[in-house]
Amino acid sequence: MTDIRKLFIANRAEIALRIVRSARRLGIATVVPWHAQDRHGPALAEADETVQVFGEPPVSAWLDAAAMIRAALDSGCDALHPGYGFLSENAGFARAVAAAGLVFVGPDAAAIELMGDKISARKFALAHDVPVTPSADEADDPATFAERARAVGFPLLIKGAAGGGGKGMQIVRDGAALADAIAVARSESQRYFGDGRLFAERYVERPRHIEVQVFGDRQGHVIHLGERECSIQRRFQKLIEETPAPGLAGGLRDRICSAAVRLAQAAGYVNAGTVECIVSPDGEFFFLEMNTRLQVEHPVTEMVTGLDLVELQLRIAQGEPLPLAQADVRWHGHAIECRLLAEDADAGFVPDTGRVRLLRVPQGPGLRFDGGVTEGAPVTAAFDSMLAKLVTHGATRELALSRARQALADTVMLGVTLNADFLSRVLQHPAFAAGETDTGFIERHRDALKPAALSDAERRLLLAVAARALHEPAARPLSLPHAAMGAWRN
Amino acid sequence: MNAFHFSDTPQRRHRVHRQPGSDQVVVDGKHVAVQALGGGRFRALLDGRPQQLHAVPDGDAVLVQWRGRAWRIERIDATRANAAAAGSEAGVSHAPMPGVVVSLQAAAGQRVSEGEALLVIESMKLQMTITAACSGTVQALPVAAGQTFQRGAVLAQVKPDEEAR
Repeated sequence: MTDIRKLFIANRAEIALRIVRSARRLGIATVVPWHAQDRHGPALAEADETVQVFGEPPVSAWLDAAAMIRAALDSGCDALHPGYGFLSENAGFARAVAAAGLVFVGPDAAAIELMGDKISARKFALAHDVPVTPSADEADDPATFAERARAVGFPLLIKGAAGGGGKGMQIVRDGAALADAIAVARSESQRYFGDGRLFAERYVERPRHIEVQVFGDRQGHVIHLGERECSIQRRFQKLIEETPAPGLAGGLRDRICSAAVRLAQAAGYVNAGTVECIVSPDGEFFFLEMNTRLQVEHPVTEMVTGLDLVELQLRIAQGEPLPLAQADVRWHGHAIECRLLAEDADAGFVPDTGRVRLLRVPQGPGLRFDGGVTEGAPVTAAFDSMLAKLVTHGATRELALSRARQALADTVMLGVTLNADFLSRVLQHPAFAAGETDTGFIERHRDALKPAALSDAERRLLLAVAARALHEPAARPLSLPHAAMGAWRN
Repeated sequence: MNAFHFSDTPQRRHRVHRQPGSDQVVVDGKHVAVQALGGGRFRALLDGRPQQLHAVPDGDAVLVQWRGRAWRIERIDATRANAAAAGSEAGVSHAPMPGVVVSLQAAAGQRVSEGEALLVIESMKLQMTITAACSGTVQALPVAAGQTFQRGAVLAQVKPDEEAR
């Protein structure tokens, strides 16, 4: 067992802050990178040290494995946490980190490689008694791919083998649309993942996206921390996640969770991982993929189990055994997470850019706000549009829901369009309240989710405030030149 | 007296007059009392119930937030109003969001049909194809592959086949 003394966080925004906080509680010093176009992250002010990184476009700095490792070594770190996204699921990076003598806070490169390729992951799942959907792998015989895809049966999904996060995926409902879908999926996969290899799988109608949080230690123990439902999505990207999955039969939940543990165990999995599945309306489940990293929505699991998943990650990386056995895990109440994105949800989820002119974070019992921006921060197309995560907990789902609605109403972010009100409308929709969630929810209820028109009295209220604000000196936000400096320090 | 409008309904103008030295604001002839609490916070009554709102000025406009929803309210400047754009010109494609050009699918001088792909753009991990709004000849594709652009930027100009009669 080797204690980590100084941790390099190869990430940014809200997750960098999240990791800094847990590391600090364990007495671990932290180093966070910043870029000339990303000087306003909240982690920068809280980390022990910051390191400037370079690259155009800015995200390339976080995708530069050698630069990340060099920054970690130069700042005297002995470990590196990749966060999520960027290089977190890049086996070559994990290997390079270890080769540089740094502890990689995550699974071994071999596990990342196995699960990173959707095709090998599915084969592995099948071999270990974990059900998968009917599919066709292009690599088996590229010439007959379109034909074999057709044989999978419609509706089907064409996706990139090396992909994730919803990129490079196309739903095909009938044969006429197949050729085009293959072309688009290939071009997107090539662009985002540098790999245009495709496969097709049956698309379950009204699927529920159910995933299981697993953890493994170096001593060979693997446990699960329960499931999360992430069915509220748009363009295959999650917007709202919750735990436990509403209305999921106990027997089915147990089968999914033990399948996840079985898979992780068979893979010799170490550290945090999430096994994603789809559940059909008639209670069948199919393995989708395994994410070999911490997930964005991990806070809901933390809220119901009382565990700090980043702390667990760090302990396991230090070689410690899991501090609890499966029988010790307890779940209390219900938790919901809403992803606050800089986008105009009512105009087709079009991303918005701007600068955070005013930010007021909601507070209250059972409420957690993981913010990724500070006041004065620019919001550009250079980075992901997620600005914050709002997580609420309650003894019942209804309580967690009403807390979430109140918190969304209390969140103040001016300067860039936020999807907060749209999320509130989703939470208030009777179908959501009834737990009738599946990945087609947003599309299906699109008309009902439109915003209500303002009454004349409401319009007058807003106009009156606007008139006052134009003349109110106290309302002036932080002067821009000072805000523009960000959290830069020597 | 000022004319204001909500940015999403520019045709609908409101008369707004703030009485200096008081909390009273007259909007379209009706009185609304708004207290400034400092730090961008304001309090006002709606149907007798107190509401808390936040607002910051943004040049001649104001960003207002209430109960989780936000609006941009603009004060109308008479000189600017006359120079307002006439709406979308035929054959011109504007960027729906800021981003970068992934690839050009057509070239200046090329004849295109309505719906034909002109260029592919990407923003915040979303890729989309800009297609010709009408059949005609491509006049220009001002933004090159790899270049970034802001929302509203002209991405393509197609001269429609039929000129206005």
